[in-house]
Amino acid sequence: MNEHDQIRELIEGYALGAVDEQERAAVEAHLAAGCADCAKALEEARWLVTQLVYLAPAAEPSDSLRARLLQELQAGEAPARVTEIRSHAPAKAAIPFWMWAGVAALLLLTTYSAWTARKQRETIVEIQAKLDAAVKQREDLHQELTAAKHEAVILTDPDSKKFMIWPSDKQMPKLEAAWHPDMGIYVTGQKVPMPGKNRVLQLWLISKSGKPMPSRTFWPDSKGKVDLMIDDPPEVMAQTKALAITEEPMGGSPQPTTTPMWVGGVT
Amino acid sequence: MFLAVVTSKQSDDASSDAALVQRLLRKDMLAFEQLYDRHSRIVYGLVLRILQQASTAEEVVQDVFLLLWRNAAQYQAGRGPFVPWLLTLARNRALDHLRLKSERQRRREDQADVLPQIAQAPQYEKQLDEKRRAEVVRGLIGSLSAPQKKAIEMAYFEGLSHSEIAAALNEPLGTVKSWIRNGLLRLKEGLIAAQ
Repeated sequence: MNEHDQIRELIEGYALGAVDEQERAAVEAHLAAGCADCAKALEEARWLVTQLVYLAPAAEPSDSLRARLLQELQAGEAPARVTEIRSHAPAKAAIPFWMWAGVAALLLLTTYSAWTARKQRETIVEIQAKLDAAVKQREDLHQELTAAKHEAVILTDPDSKKFMIWPSDKQMPKLEAAWHPDMGIYVTGQKVPMPGKNRVLQLWLISKSGKPMPSRTFWPDSKGKVDLMIDDPPEVMAQTKALAITEEPMGGSPQPTTTPMWVGGVT
Repeated sequence: MFLAVVTSKQSDDASSDAALVQRLLRKDMLAFEQLYDRHSRIVYGLVLRILQQASTAEEVVQDVFLLLWRNAAQYQAGRGPFVPWLLTLARNRALDHLRLKSERQRRREDQADVLPQIAQAPQYEKQLDEKRRAEVVRGLIGSLSAPQKKAIEMAYFEGLSHSEIAAALNEPLGTVKSWIRNGLLRLKEGLIAAQ
């Protein structure tokens, strides 16, 4: 691989800011030497990096932030206006001492009021932030609780049917499934190996006619645990003969492309 | 769902963004308010995701918009759309904040006052509807393997280097580099395919 190819492979990481100092220097030197191909690739990579913003959850800043920002801008602009006005004023004005004292007192009072108002705003923002965090925590807990209740109902309800999903290879772990006619399917397992590079595991519902209906793709977690909830199976239990799991390309497949690694009879 | 979007289209919205930034040069407060109302949510969402703390995120968002107010002249509409520029500025400031006490603070601080390069939209982006683009990005990154997605998120939202991510995930450095590069290339393919 020549130098250009080596640098070209670093461009995406450089756009993300993920390369180390040495790589960064090498990329910048290469770009400075005028490589149009890498410059174009960098422009494109920078654009792609900005698209990752869509992975951030939606969030709303507080109204007080807007007010605080506008107030700060107005405060920042005020001295410029004062300067402009003063430049048109007479160079010397005959103002008595008592008036200067009054102005000084007024300035002190204004400064104190502004300071107090600022502290109050900061307190409000702080309280609002704590409130927002508490609300979010509560929502997260509520979601977790709902999911846990959902799983618990599926696992305990007498209407649920429980069955094993057996591996084709005896070295592999067996999985457990519970299917509630209204609430969906819950599949669990331990020590499930990670699928190959750019591959996923995919669940299939095998209908009584033998047709495989595609369902969710998934991966085990880093410890090999599978915790899969199917809220809306593509087929009803009465019409399903078995569940099967295959390894498929990333994104899943409309039809199985490999032999099932696990199969479990529903009825 | 974000109402503001990362757009490349030479639409009315984009051109009026540029026009509003031009008005900032004349210290037009109304133009500033319109830009804030249009883009503060997406900026705040990004900064909050990076910093994970509402009060700190608001400080950084305030900082970003003050920088915009004071440095509007540095944005040149002819070189690319406004929102990616603003988001890059916001990401840099948030990551600066995140790394305030880290070893690499100095390097980041060296760049702190440098406003970001403008990300010029590639040709294939010109026709893609913004809502669809958001779906494509979420769908594509969501379809990557869990560790590959995690690596991309650690680089983008946590500002970690390849080697830091490799250490955190206990994966070979070359694997992490490939995950991130291939993930972004896959995103590009997906955006092209979604036209």
